[in-house]
Amino acid sequence: MTTIARADQWSRCHRAARTDGVSAALTELATAVLPGLLPCGPAGHAIVPTGIAAGAARVWADGVTVDRGAGVEKALGVVELPGGDVELLRHQVEPGANGFSPAERACWTLGLVWLRLGLSEELRETAMRYLNGRRTGNSTLLQQQMVKSTVADGLIEHLEVRAVLTGIGPGELPDTVLNHLHAQLTEADRALVKLLGASGYLAGGPGQVARVSELLAEAYCRPEV
Amino acid sequence: MIQLDDRLLALRGQVREWGADFRALGLALDRDPELIREHFDLPAVRYLSTMGIPPEYGNVPIPIAGNRFYGTLALERAIIMEELSCADVGMLVASPGPLLAGVLIDLLADEQQKDWFYGRMLESPLWTFFALTEPDRGSDAGALSTTVVPATADRPALLSGAKRYVGNAARAQLGVVFARTSPGPLGINAVLVENPSTGFHAEALETIGLRGARISAITMEDVEIAPERFLGRHLSPSRRGMWAFVQTFNLLRPGVAAIALGIARAAHEYVITHRTSLRRDERDRLDLLARRIDGARRLVHLAAAAVDARTGDGYLASAAKVRAAQLAHDATQEACTFFGAGARLEHPVLDKLVRDARGMEFIEGTSNMQKLNLFQGLFTGKLDRDDPFRTAPLAVV
Repeated sequence: MTTIARADQWSRCHRAARTDGVSAALTELATAVLPGLLPCGPAGHAIVPTGIAAGAARVWADGVTVDRGAGVEKALGVVELPGGDVELLRHQVEPGANGFSPAERACWTLGLVWLRLGLSEELRETAMRYLNGRRTGNSTLLQQQMVKSTVADGLIEHLEVRAVLTGIGPGELPDTVLNHLHAQLTEADRALVKLLGASGYLAGGPGQVARVSELLAEAYCRPEV
Repeated sequence: MIQLDDRLLALRGQVREWGADFRALGLALDRDPELIREHFDLPAVRYLSTMGIPPEYGNVPIPIAGNRFYGTLALERAIIMEELSCADVGMLVASPGPLLAGVLIDLLADEQQKDWFYGRMLESPLWTFFALTEPDRGSDAGALSTTVVPATADRPALLSGAKRYVGNAARAQLGVVFARTSPGPLGINAVLVENPSTGFHAEALETIGLRGARISAITMEDVEIAPERFLGRHLSPSRRGMWAFVQTFNLLRPGVAAIALGIARAAHEYVITHRTSLRRDERDRLDLLARRIDGARRLVHLAAAAVDARTGDGYLASAAKVRAAQLAHDATQEACTFFGAGARLEHPVLDKLVRDARGMEFIEGTSNMQKLNLFQGLFTGKLDRDDPFRTAPLAVV
């Protein structure tokens, strides 16, 4: 399969992550880059919306496409999220499969960073709305200097990640750099989730979105060897 | 792809070459900051001595690959600053030139004032200073208390007060002082001051690092200020006080971030040069540092392009400065870990890098202040949440 990546694909995926959540953004990315496929990472893990999990006849395993029936598949769970649930799967692809497509993989891995950037930016906005609605003394929590500093730290991380991604096409950044960007986003998320206090610890809320975002990196990034 | 165009790459290559002189002299200048006086003939010092002077005032910098770079753009300055700071930040900040004051002059001065200021700068290498910060008040312009009492029929305007942490003031021949003519934000003015002047005194403070900057304390007592030395006298009060230095700092901040970036890169390069064989874990740590430097550089360049496109757009520059200052701190500390116990005692260049990096935290506003500024930009919507790099023309980066 040939995939033609266009800059607006990342833009749509990034926007969907900010406005519609994990499920919509993953659908946007998978439909654009890997239509009809179940996207799996290097160890066979998949985190996908229910619709993609149910509808894919073939498996894309970190660049190699095989029939879904050719390997053993195990459901690892379902996570309820705002905007739609995602399913966690592991599809064991038999070693020796050929037909590796670097172009598809490059599109998927780049799109995934844009997607996680969008989720992280939305987490920042959520934290700001939340703290702007809570008061301490004559002010809001959002206007406390320590809170402002934490928000700014998250924003700086987002700006740097975006600066690195801006103008970049698929395959132009090596895995080490993409992994570094994922690590930056994970750090930003963890700091921003703290702003939500206990509410960030509830299943189904923004803290859960941040957790799933981390799991996306876990599932789809190649570990550095 | 975010890449410098050929023209800017040529600039970077040339300045990197000039930097070799700076690197060779760095430690000696750290011991004696006045050593710079013996090196006005170095190409980088000559370039810096007129950097920022527009061509229409007679500036003819050395051509580089067929182009002349006047240093009037923040992106050009960011490239130059990173390279020279990577070579030696002490030599960079010790070099004479119009830098901070020059940016303000460009924004604020009328034609006659520009002719006078730039003319003096082109005659011979001069140090300039930019005096805003005050003892006990920092850079809080609202609390600024240095006064300039307006002229009467019998005497000229008189400038009195104290400034602190002003680069190169002790040896500068001219500079800019911010002072009040009246209470409130519209009462702030910038005046040109020559050194020596009766009632003006500046002395260098001993600092831990960045010793080339000769960070100074200034006292002023009834320094006479002629009417033509009031900058922006042709502008409304709202355009010549607080507005002016906010714009000036916006324009300069990417350059400060680039200086910090250069220090981080110097630390990284020092390890590569002096540790010929690395263990796997050491190589990984060094690679990670390289990725951080590269990421920060992209942000610095976009921030510079943003202020070049719109002077008021300084929020990205705040982000870049925070990021680069932290990186300089981290990189210099990290570099020491590659050389075992007592690394800073055995490697004077490393020790100097660590000391210099610490200065980047407060120069042009502490990280805490930059973060508050950045938050404000986000909260008020002045920083575009959907497209934060909207104003940065990607054609040049």
